[in-house]
Amino acid sequence: MSDVIEPRAGARAGAASWGDRLLRVAHAGGLLLVIVLITGGASLFVPNFLSPFNQFTLTRNLGVDIIIGFGMMVVLGLGHMNLALGAIGACAAMVVGFCLQTLGLPIPLAIAGAILAGALLGALNGVLVVRTGLDSFIITLATASLYFGLMFILTRAEAFRDLPADFSALGKGRVGPYSSFLVIAGVVAAGLVVIFNFSELGRQILATGANRTAASLSGIPVNRVIIVTHALSGAIAAIAGVMVTARLASALPSIGEEWLLPSFLAPLLGGTLLAGGFVSVIGAALGAILLSVLQNTLVLLNVSGFWIQFFLGLALLAAVGIDRWRVVQTQKRGTPGR
Amino acid sequence: MLKTWTIAGLALASLACSAGISAAADVKLALVPGGPHPFFAPWEQAAADAKVAFGLTESQYAVPQDWQLDLQNKLIESLASQGYNAFGIFPGDATGTNETMAELEAFGAPSVAIGGCTQSPSPAKFCLATDVYRSAYLGTKALIEAMGGKGAIMHAGSRLVDPNTQLRIAAIDKAIEEAGPDVMLYQHVTDTDSQETGDAKINGVLAADAANIDGIVATGYVSSVIAARALENLGDGRIKMIGIDDDPIVLDAINKGVIQGTMAQNPYGQAYIAAYALKRMLEGCTMRADAPFDENPQNATFIDSGTLVITKANIDTYRDELKGIADDIIASFDEKYLTCN
Repeated sequence: MSDVIEPRAGARAGAASWGDRLLRVAHAGGLLLVIVLITGGASLFVPNFLSPFNQFTLTRNLGVDIIIGFGMMVVLGLGHMNLALGAIGACAAMVVGFCLQTLGLPIPLAIAGAILAGALLGALNGVLVVRTGLDSFIITLATASLYFGLMFILTRAEAFRDLPADFSALGKGRVGPYSSFLVIAGVVAAGLVVIFNFSELGRQILATGANRTAASLSGIPVNRVIIVTHALSGAIAAIAGVMVTARLASALPSIGEEWLLPSFLAPLLGGTLLAGGFVSVIGAALGAILLSVLQNTLVLLNVSGFWIQFFLGLALLAAVGIDRWRVVQTQKRGTPGR
Repeated sequence: MLKTWTIAGLALASLACSAGISAAADVKLALVPGGPHPFFAPWEQAAADAKVAFGLTESQYAVPQDWQLDLQNKLIESLASQGYNAFGIFPGDATGTNETMAELEAFGAPSVAIGGCTQSPSPAKFCLATDVYRSAYLGTKALIEAMGGKGAIMHAGSRLVDPNTQLRIAAIDKAIEEAGPDVMLYQHVTDTDSQETGDAKINGVLAADAANIDGIVATGYVSSVIAARALENLGDGRIKMIGIDDDPIVLDAINKGVIQGTMAQNPYGQAYIAAYALKRMLEGCTMRADAPFDENPQNATFIDSGTLVITKANIDTYRDELKGIADDIIASFDEKYLTCN
């Protein structure tokens, strides 16, 4: 199944878009090949890579990283960013902690509350972008600080630590040797494939990202689409926040502080365009897998953590370079630069 | 001195004995602090020394890139994946680290909390750390004495969200209250244990209101360094200070008479003792149910790694005193805390 979708708005259509499709399929295929090579090499030559403990922890971290990547991917579809992704994840973590520990709500209700809170904070980002006309970069940079600050004020930076054992058990769930977090990531991925391939909303997001003016002229409620997309991004960030809370068995205000780099890396490595108009759900998942496997392999090879940070930065530069190269290639063929 | 050597001898004999027992134990020790911080630097030497002294297969001092529980957890997971099976951990979070320790336990890797405690009940075999309440209490008492029993005290503390900071605040408040009406608290200035924010806060308060401060008790490593430097720059010698830990700048300030003392902790001893205890556990020993642990509001299996105030009088000998405390703990560890078959 392809998760590639072209926007209807704008001048993009016809034979040239098949060239784009081919390029993107080749990109995903190449990514898959690199993953297979690294995984195969690590399985053969890296001690303990296939150990049950490593497989479990690798897939648990991967499950979270995939969802963080999805959170950024949806707004990248608009050509926007969500720098408040981590802050929303932290707020959602504190909401689920508050609901479970202080209010004593049932687990499903607490999780739903956290996701709703994430969606509302994301929607607020969208509203601010629409109302002010400012770039999402500026707005979400400001709201990241705002959300973290508000959360610190309300909770006084106190963690929620007495969470029910059944909730913490979610972080320990296994499917064979793998973490059940992969299942959650799979469900979210399936939902996003449906949204972007088979729903009007998905087409509207990509059309708005491809060319906002053309989308508006063709009758798409652009402002509403922007708000809904940011709400979706917030809801996905909240899911990641809840997952990390379950894994730590504590709702900590520091959750989400490290999400920025992986949130960009996964979708960009997977072929999602920074400029908007195109997303690849499978690509983002593959990007996250590549990063997680690479990081895990480097760690098992005793490469210093500071070098790993260096490699991640290098990977982001490579991803942005590939993104730029694709835009140039597309322009050479005479199609819009997306 | 004779007593110290006797204890050291007993400790060595005990270690030699245990080395014989441990021939079959494959111990790969990892010491993991919460993040980069100079306080933990002695752990690296302790890991290396423990490897030789206790015949460990491997020992590593592994530092997370930043003070993030998530980063620490991932580092611990990767070490466990590499086959490390004994962990001395400074808890990134009192409760959050419990989950990771439980997973290590299930993996067959015992862990102990060192430098700071996890929240009991905890899978950590025990917590070996400074009794921060006692340390801050003794430090404040020493400061009040240096101030001549009167004046206003500023407390430069570590992270406000750190449970240890709360204990230190309570201890300082108690010491001030006990001193009577002539001694008062100027302010608890917290979150000063990083260079930038600490520098801004401590120097900011001194620049604005030094005349109304008569003493400083600093309970963060970096806070102490910053405050000692600030007092040296101020240069009038009126404000007295007791710091914490033994950074060379702080020790130099004591020697010059700029500050009056510092509360010594025992990070080397913490890591070294933890290595010994973990090795014994992998050899089949278990913690005694009736072990004489201390208790604090956070932890029910607490062992005090020792504290003393370094002044001009003992600045040349305090390391021996700390080593003596560590040797004492090791020498009696099996008898007091372990059941070995």
